[in-house]
Amino acid sequence: MSYGLIMADVRRGLFDERNLDLVGFCNVLNIDPWLILPKGAYNVREAYFKRIIQVEMGEEEFINPLNAVITVKKVIEKFGDPFALIFSASSSGMEIAPYVAGYLKSPIITDVSGYQKESGTLLKSLYSDKVFASLKIKGEGFFVITVRSGSFRHEAREIEENTIYEKLEGLTRDERRRFLGYIEEEKQEVDITKADFLLSIGRGVGTKDEIPLYEELASLLGATISGSRPVIDKKWLPKSRQVGTSGKTVKPKVYLAMGISGAFQHVSGMKDSECIIAVNKDPEAPIFQYAHYGIIADMHKIRDRLIQILREK
Amino acid sequence: MNILVFLKRVASSQEEELKILGEGEAVDLSRLPFKLNDWDNYALEEAIRAVEKEGGHVIAISLGAKESDDVLRRAIAMGAGEGILILGEEALFDPRLRAIVASRFIKKEGFNFDAIFTGVQAEDDQFGTFGGYLAGILELPYVSMVVAIEEWGKGYVLVRRELEGGLMEKVKVSLPSVLSIQTGINEPRYVSVMGIRRASQIERKIYESSLYMEGVISSIEVLKWSYPPKKEGAKILPYDIDGACRELLQILKERGVCQ
Ligand SMILES: Cc1cc2nc3c(=O)[nH]c(=O)nc-3n(C[C@H](O)[C@H](O)[C@H](O)COP(=O)(O)OP(=O)(O)OC[C@H]3O[C@@H](n4cnc5c(N)ncnc54)[C@H](O)[C@@H]3O)c2cc1C
Ligand SMILES: Nc1ncnc2c1ncn2[C@@H]1O[C@H](COP(=O)(O)O)[C@@H](O)[C@H]1O
Repeated sequence: MSYGLIMADVRRGLFDERNLDLVGFCNVLNIDPWLILPKGAYNVREAYFKRIIQVEMGEEEFINPLNAVITVKKVIEKFGDPFALIFSASSSGMEIAPYVAGYLKSPIITDVSGYQKESGTLLKSLYSDKVFASLKIKGEGFFVITVRSGSFRHEAREIEENTIYEKLEGLTRDERRRFLGYIEEEKQEVDITKADFLLSIGRGVGTKDEIPLYEELASLLGATISGSRPVIDKKWLPKSRQVGTSGKTVKPKVYLAMGISGAFQHVSGMKDSECIIAVNKDPEAPIFQYAHYGIIADMHKIRDRLIQILREK
Repeated sequence: MNILVFLKRVASSQEEELKILGEGEAVDLSRLPFKLNDWDNYALEEAIRAVEKEGGHVIAISLGAKESDDVLRRAIAMGAGEGILILGEEALFDPRLRAIVASRFIKKEGFNFDAIFTGVQAEDDQFGTFGGYLAGILELPYVSMVVAIEEWGKGYVLVRRELEGGLMEKVKVSLPSVLSIQTGINEPRYVSVMGIRRASQIERKIYESSLYMEGVISSIEVLKWSYPPKKEGAKILPYDIDGACRELLQILKERGVCQ
């Protein structure tokens, strides 16, 4: 049976849950999941993999895209072409996958979140999740994909046979890119992950001048203020208030999202909130698919009326 | 220091309805406003800052239909020294094909550069692949999701790249290299309509994309466009503002977060 070559999504000694989406993807396509992994003690769920290839490289070297090319080429040289090269759509996979694909001139599709068996098509979102495309890969040879976190995890199955272990040694290193260290975010006085009630504002807020009135609303409601990336990028709110993959993951009792469209990178940071309420003027905004309650209106009008009611109390 | 910056003209879709035509044949973009891809605006600003500090110049390059000239004029108004359009009426939707065309263009026209900047992703197709793919073909070092450029050294650059959850990593890469730039790295300068008009006087070069397409065809095909898979969806509160607000406050009370 042909194999799917999974490049492990690892960071600081952790084997991320996202790897299970990659296994699930292989299972759905009915190909053997093979894993390549750097040196180190990772809590790999070994029974999911037909073959585990441990590479003679430390983690930081391994996830360097320049070295990933060297590793992948070696695996292919030794074992023959895979059916597909599979990565997470994470900060690592988003960097390594296109680089390896470009080096090998392979077809690539990123952020895949579904597979349709009958037509053999891959599903991918576009325009911040407002539309999806069913895509088919043409031509011969293997392709490269990145898989959206959470989309195939439930399909992951353990295999019946024993896992085969291999070691890959004697690899060169590409010294043109070097890891120098991690930088943690500076500690801030407010921790939005601890708040019960978040009032989160997005690009729909329009201008900086509107922010103080949302701060007033938050204080009248007893909510903590947070935001989507564009609001933080413009420095209208501090970085520590950002919700999403590159910000914080939050699970408050209530998440009130105003003027946020519901792009995946935002949603993955707040979708497990107990109650999500979205205010957006676009009835088709993807956020309404995740929200429990929705208000289709101009967020400023909602804000002004709420402030008025709360002041009267 | 010479920097090539790739700029894409995209449909501004965040606040617009996206209609799918027929049985999923296409997305109707005919009534949407177009603009410079948000990520690319940051990439362009970062490139201009680099040459302002280190000397050299910025060349803005766009692949697309003739309307993409808009983003080149804007780039020149912002401070780019040159604008180049690789003209292709057919949208190069396939990331592989697009990067091959760009790489052949760069090689054939013999550009001398220290760095290539792209955005992390295009707002429309969201592949997030162009910079990486191009770097792979050109066999140049690559760093994605760059959120700070700390130092341009002799033959290298020190950058910070963004990871998950607020974590960053510090990376040293040798030049020339390809960097994909993340939003928020800077505050892009303002360009006036007057500035863009003035920029029109500087000639933009046009090259035909077909010159760089020999022997390659698209490796992906769109079989169908569709609306997002529907989940449970939200319960929509009344449309009148007052009614919606009162119900909202009631929900907050039930949830115990607000009196
Ligand atoms: C690697 C990477 C990491 C990322 N990490 C994050 C992250 O951690 N967090 C994050 O949030 N994003 C992140 N993003 C960005 C993400 O892809 C989206 O671009 C972003 O979430 C969009 O933010 P938004 O919803 O506020 O803006 P938009 O998508 O522009 O949406 C604005 C919304 O406001 C609505 N609106 C406008 N005016 C009004 C009004 N007056 N009243 C009511 N509604 C109105 C519009 O209908 C629209 O739905 C990341 C992207 C990448 C590539
Ligand atoms: N047609 C294009 N013309 C110029 N630059 C592009 C084009 N397509 C992609 N890019 C660049 O590549 C980045 C990533 O795009 P994508 O891989 O399509 O998500 C963009 O931010 C641009 O910098």
